[in-house]
Amino acid sequence: MIQMIVKRLGLILFVVFGVTLVTFFMSHVIPGDPASLIAGQRASEETLQSIRQQLGLDQPVWIQYFHYLGDLLTGDLGTSIRTQRPVLDELITFFPATIELAIAAFAIAIVLGIPLGILAALKKNSIWDNLSRVFSISGVSIPVFFSGLIVILIFYGKLGWLPSNGRIALDINPPTHITGFYILDSIFTGDMVALKSSLQHLILPALVLSYAQLAVITRQVRASMLEVMSQEYIRTAVANGIKGRLLIISYALKNALIPTVTVIGVAFGSLLGGAVVTETIFGWPGMGKFVVDSISYLDFPAMMGFTIIISIGYVLINLIVDIIYGLLNPQMKQ
Amino acid sequence: MVKKLSYVLLMIITAILLTACKENANAPTSSETTPDETTPTETETTATNPDQLVIAIPADVTSLDPAITMDNSTWKIIYNSYERLVDYDGATTNIKPGLAEKWEVSEDGKTWTFHLEDGHVFSDGTPVDAEAVKASFDRTLKIANGPAGVYSMVSEIRVDDPMTVVFVLSENFPPFLSTLAANYGNIVSPTVMEHEENGDLGQNYLAENTLGSGPYKLTEWKKGDSLKLEINEHSKVKPTLKSILFRIVGDPSVQRMQLEKGEIDIAEGIPVDQIDSVKGLENVALIQEPSLLADYIYINTSKGNAALQDEKVRQALNYAMDYESLVSAVQLGYATQMRGPIPDGIWGHDESVHQYNYDVEKAKALLAEAGVENLTLELLYSDNKTWWETEALAIQSNLADIGVTLNLNKVAYATSREMMEKGEFDLALGVWSPDFGDPYAFMNYWFDSANHGLAGNRAFYTNSEVDNLLKEAATNNDQSARQETYKQIQDIVMEEAPYILLYQKDFILPMSKDVKGFVYNPMLEGIYFLSEMSK
Repeated sequence: MIQMIVKRLGLILFVVFGVTLVTFFMSHVIPGDPASLIAGQRASEETLQSIRQQLGLDQPVWIQYFHYLGDLLTGDLGTSIRTQRPVLDELITFFPATIELAIAAFAIAIVLGIPLGILAALKKNSIWDNLSRVFSISGVSIPVFFSGLIVILIFYGKLGWLPSNGRIALDINPPTHITGFYILDSIFTGDMVALKSSLQHLILPALVLSYAQLAVITRQVRASMLEVMSQEYIRTAVANGIKGRLLIISYALKNALIPTVTVIGVAFGSLLGGAVVTETIFGWPGMGKFVVDSISYLDFPAMMGFTIIISIGYVLINLIVDIIYGLLNPQMKQ
Repeated sequence: MVKKLSYVLLMIITAILLTACKENANAPTSSETTPDETTPTETETTATNPDQLVIAIPADVTSLDPAITMDNSTWKIIYNSYERLVDYDGATTNIKPGLAEKWEVSEDGKTWTFHLEDGHVFSDGTPVDAEAVKASFDRTLKIANGPAGVYSMVSEIRVDDPMTVVFVLSENFPPFLSTLAANYGNIVSPTVMEHEENGDLGQNYLAENTLGSGPYKLTEWKKGDSLKLEINEHSKVKPTLKSILFRIVGDPSVQRMQLEKGEIDIAEGIPVDQIDSVKGLENVALIQEPSLLADYIYINTSKGNAALQDEKVRQALNYAMDYESLVSAVQLGYATQMRGPIPDGIWGHDESVHQYNYDVEKAKALLAEAGVENLTLELLYSDNKTWWETEALAIQSNLADIGVTLNLNKVAYATSREMMEKGEFDLALGVWSPDFGDPYAFMNYWFDSANHGLAGNRAFYTNSEVDNLLKEAATNNDQSARQETYKQIQDIVMEEAPYILLYQKDFILPMSKDVKGFVYNPMLEGIYFLSEMSK
């Protein structure tokens, strides 16, 4: 097990190298000159040339790439063309917000999705099953920009229960920076005012973001539960008088969860991606908007930094999925 | 079973709707509201605070350094943190004293002498003097970014005495004064050099801080969330509003709801198609003024389809546009058809200049005269402006009426800029707004053959007579003579039609009725004179 983990962590190096290579050349192949976006609408050739020189864009692409790799080895992700700030600083500013939102959405999706799936499977073809089906189908088919606006309209516009925008109320200071996650930081520092406000701001975007994944998880759990429940060992267990919670949780669910874990792993990746739209609607100061703006500005260093971090994230998530696999299924430990 | 299910669903939906409606019906009108009754979220208290103005902006801003940024949305944040040698006077494009109480220009227009007013102090306590002004401009020129390009004609900056600074230009450039009133004329404190890292002239520091003598200074920037300005105690100007909060709200519908609830005072991100829904709100006033933003089509007169080199074909395209429908379909009426390249609102605009009208027959006749049949053209545009999609479709149908096939080529914004620079298009959609209040900002950029490409002459238009006249207009200090020359040029270029001038857009801004003292200056579109505003 430990050997596997070490091996996989070593793999990250190769993944990062591959990702930098592909992203760097892809982003440089797109026609477009960041200098002309910075210089304003009526920049002269001299101005453009001076900006290109400052950014190192006047050199051949492969030299630019080697410079980038060299800096990367020393932990320098470069300076953002658009904001003129070190990319690493930008990532540190925006990344925790996105991760916090994604984790909250993820937790909601799992906590609600698994029981709903079990319920749907056990009461197959009942009203609960049908309700959960309606719920799931709308989850996958209603786009976030629509469901987002609807919940804002109801909970902010009509009821006035929850805020519409941002991560914390404007007149409340964010908790002291420890992890960058407002919820955790405010718990650590005992700042209850910040905690309350952060939670209020987190609920709606997390719910909206979780909806699609919640639907997928529910359907997956239902399907694999049904499959497991029809297997012979369950029939044997039932024949032996095992029933109720013991049967469902210890006998059926444990096996049904194996394929679900894969889906959940993928779901977390989609949550990070899906956060872009959610962040825009809820004014959530996360990675999503930063990256979209960077792309439209052809801000290579920012795009590269983001891609590297996300790919490391994916490798880690896959690793965690595999570890959980092993815990659920002893056969896979080898 | 299905019946039962639909009952349950129906009940849930009714319950949600009932709660929503009931809350609404019971909600007290804003005048009756007591603070206790509206406490659902802490954020609601911010806009109602009479000392604080809350402005919703659609996106976060980039580097705040005046020597770097060429972005209007950033200018509005920092404009009030700095002072300039001169300023625009109220709502006009006239120039009034700023840091300089008076100034003189030499006979040949190349030497400008500014006498500074006493008593101006930067936010860190450093006094504003001639050395500081010189240091600020030297820094801008050394950084050699967009703003330096504006001052490329400055050859020397000299300090004659502690309160007198002299600019020597390499050539006569009458709009010079006007460039000093814009954002790149902001004077930065020389103490910025104390924050220098690796020879960056303090760029890193000023990217996130302000260091000027204006009435406000930036005190907080929560990235992706909000920016806060508070009073600069050292400033000579004493404003009423204690703080200004720029709040990033990306979604227009959310902005509308926040404006309705009084959570924000000004909503900057509401597109024209949602303006009507804001108009009906009781507490909201709609600012509507003609802007200097021109929306037009570049006709590639030398590198595009060969037929476009014929003046008659270009005129035909001009006559093919249904200007009135374009304004009403694309801008919902919040725009006016242009007359000549200089928009209404800048001196030099002339009501006697020829304006193309919608005349399909004339357009067809001109095409026939030119001997052009089955013409197929490509229209380049990007996602930079939300309305371009509709506009492109309208133009396509207009041209179909005169027998011209138009293929639409939509690309990413950065790509479109590159293609414009290289001239890889037949027709392209564009917008232009002036950086200083002088006809130069339109005429010399659009028509001088030295400016082919992104620099401004995006039609790749060349006419040596026009070039000479433009030079004459640009190097003469007599405004009425210049106006005459520009009129002459306008007559030529309207005849030769290297562009299709569509419309100048209106500036629309929904604002709470509580906000007082807002002045719209077309040269400083979207920029607030915060020290004159109150609630």
